[in-house]
Amino acid sequence: MIKFDNVSKYYSTKQGRHYILKNVSIALPTDVNIGVLGPNGVGKSTLVRMIGGADYPNSGQILSNKKISWPLGLQGGLQGSMTARENVRFVARIHGYKDTKEIETKVADFSEIGKFFDEPVKSYSSGMKARVSFGLTMAFDFDFDVLLIDELGAVGDANFRKKSQALLESKFNSTKLIMVSHSMGELKKYCQAGIVIKDQSILFYPKLDDAIIQYEETYVTTS
Amino acid sequence: MQAKRSSLQITMDTVYALLMRELKTRFGSSKLGYFWAVAEPVAQASILAILFTLIGRSSLSGVPVALFLISGVMLFKAFSKSLTQLSAGIKSNTALFSYRQVSPIDPLITRLIIELATFFIVYIIILSVMFWLGFDVWPQDLLALITASLLLIFLAVGLALCLSVAQLYWQDTNKLLGMIMTPMFFISGIFFCATMIPQKFWYLFTWNPIFHAIELSRDAFFVSYETPVGSWMYLGLVTLTFNVLGLMLYRANRIRFVTL
Repeated sequence: MIKFDNVSKYYSTKQGRHYILKNVSIALPTDVNIGVLGPNGVGKSTLVRMIGGADYPNSGQILSNKKISWPLGLQGGLQGSMTARENVRFVARIHGYKDTKEIETKVADFSEIGKFFDEPVKSYSSGMKARVSFGLTMAFDFDFDVLLIDELGAVGDANFRKKSQALLESKFNSTKLIMVSHSMGELKKYCQAGIVIKDQSILFYPKLDDAIIQYEETYVTTS
Repeated sequence: MQAKRSSLQITMDTVYALLMRELKTRFGSSKLGYFWAVAEPVAQASILAILFTLIGRSSLSGVPVALFLISGVMLFKAFSKSLTQLSAGIKSNTALFSYRQVSPIDPLITRLIIELATFFIVYIIILSVMFWLGFDVWPQDLLALITASLLLIFLAVGLALCLSVAQLYWQDTNKLLGMIMTPMFFISGIFFCATMIPQKFWYLFTWNPIFHAIELSRDAFFVSYETPVGSWMYLGLVTLTFNVLGLMLYRANRIRFVTL
């Protein structure tokens, strides 16, 4: 269970506060995969970042006793000036692993980026970055109860996608997803439930199809 | 599976991870990194020593010129290095705050450990070399010397906390810092001490806590020097004040560091 307790989040703009969430209280289940729906700029990434502890609400609290991953996405997570290996070591260490060798090897094997594993991350293509950040979560043996994914599936070639999909699916018993994506196909493939961000509030639907209908009614103009 | 860690353990793990990272970028990038840590204060003290020797002084207040200068330069370097490193610490690690384990104060703790270790190691290396060259380098009161140095370095910590918060509201804070540190080099008593100044001008220097720290450390170091102005009370209070203020400002603004 991830509990939102009167959560508000805004960004300061020149025209005053721009609210993304306002006084939201909701409990999200952690026994189903949840897809997050909404148009650009509505606050999907911010929501996922807040669940992952990479960002904080301006007021209220988000509480959970589950192990939640950091938000896996294209921005953030990996630091550009460090090599993939150094990034992996760092993440392993802050998670309390003293011996990082095994994890390093695992990520290197999974990401298949060869010698670039020891080059700075800023020299990578976005596909290579995705390989490393995905491989990094894999290396922790899915110790996480909830995996946060922010538009990660959009990159990577066919081989890599197939590989990561297979791994993901094999772990679904113990690990659930909260996933941001603009591809309905992808969401339908993975998620059973859905969230729509609407009017600075979170609407939860136990059935993804209902969430998609709500999303299309609210945001998609048919003309 | 991993056992649940306490908050303290998480902080310690994070500081360890940051430490490994910082050491690599600080010293590892150039093989000369460790060399410069020693060479920089030595070079600075040597230049001043040569100047003093050229104008015909071999001792200042009964202390050999080289030792007198090293005691001042080392302490001032420790202060200015800690201040610049720590106040830039949060900004240069922003990307890592996307991991919830990393909180903004962790890079400051990490950099403080590095600065403290560098300071003591470099000081010991320099004194050993000078001992080998025939100087009498054993401090008169080692404990007081260490206390004065620690108080000054912790003053830098308090100031760095305040400056880190100030940077959130005003981007150019660090430019100001650079402007202030240069004149500080000349008024902090690195190449002079209180007994060399007429008593009526002491008030021009005694507001400066760095001056107090250097006076106190020389008092502790040299048998022949007794400081007429250095005050433990003043240095201690200034350090305490800035640490309390810094921690309060940090606590009140800690979320801003992460959210931007």
